[in-house]
Amino acid sequence: MSRPSPRLIHAIWLTMAMVIVGCAGQKEPATKALAQAEAAIASVREDAAKYSPADLQAVEATYAALKANLASGDYKAVLAGAPQLMSAVTSLKSGVDAKKAEAEAAMAAATGEWNALSQDVPKMVEAIQSRVDSLSASKRLPKNVTQGSFDQAKSGLDMMKTTWADASAAFSSGDPVDAVSKAKQVKEKGAEVLKLLGMS
Amino acid sequence: MLMTDENQVPGKDNPYAQYYVVKSGDTLSKIAEEFYGDKMLYDRIFDANRDVLQDPNKIKPGQKLLIP
Repeated sequence: MSRPSPRLIHAIWLTMAMVIVGCAGQKEPATKALAQAEAAIASVREDAAKYSPADLQAVEATYAALKANLASGDYKAVLAGAPQLMSAVTSLKSGVDAKKAEAEAAMAAATGEWNALSQDVPKMVEAIQSRVDSLSASKRLPKNVTQGSFDQAKSGLDMMKTTWADASAAFSSGDPVDAVSKAKQVKEKGAEVLKLLGMS
Repeated sequence: MLMTDENQVPGKDNPYAQYYVVKSGDTLSKIAEEFYGDKMLYDRIFDANRDVLQDPNKIKPGQKLLIP
């Protein structure tokens, strides 16, 4: 086997040097692009975890892959993938902003609804409690109330009190949507109980 | 605040409170029997309507009574 010519060796060295210099030239923009992406993800991470967890997970996975490329020196892959990642982060942010605005509007509406229910439901419970107390003191029940319906009314009243306590706790803990949902259950049960007691 | 004390009478502004308009020939005992099944509980109706009734034996047709 003949030795490669000095000219060929020179050419190989020159090519390798160009590759090394070229790669070194891509390291800084690749690092910078990834740092920008990281900062963009960090700015939306908290809200995204709450409102768009699946989309956040996809973005985080893409970011992790590019970070691995950077670590292995594949700067070209980082530079090629970074714009797509930034686009995904922008899309994630607008989706999160929309969902957040929607959730805030629902919270505001629920708070208004809760304010009305918190005036109304206790009055319903009070009226039912008063009639249950009266009938409990009675030696016999009126013609329009059977013993079975009276028993159902009493257990319905217990459910109303328990659920109302849960609703109040939900509102106090900052969840007006759940509070309203529970308060509506109390009202529905109350309507049944009023019928059972012949009050509606 | 949930009012659940026993013998708590609903206020006149309570939209769920039940009312009865007195007819000719009614007595509180008769009304108590109709709503509670027990005429002896007339005093509950009297107590809840002391703002319009002075005497449990004197009720007038047309009076609107709260039935607690």
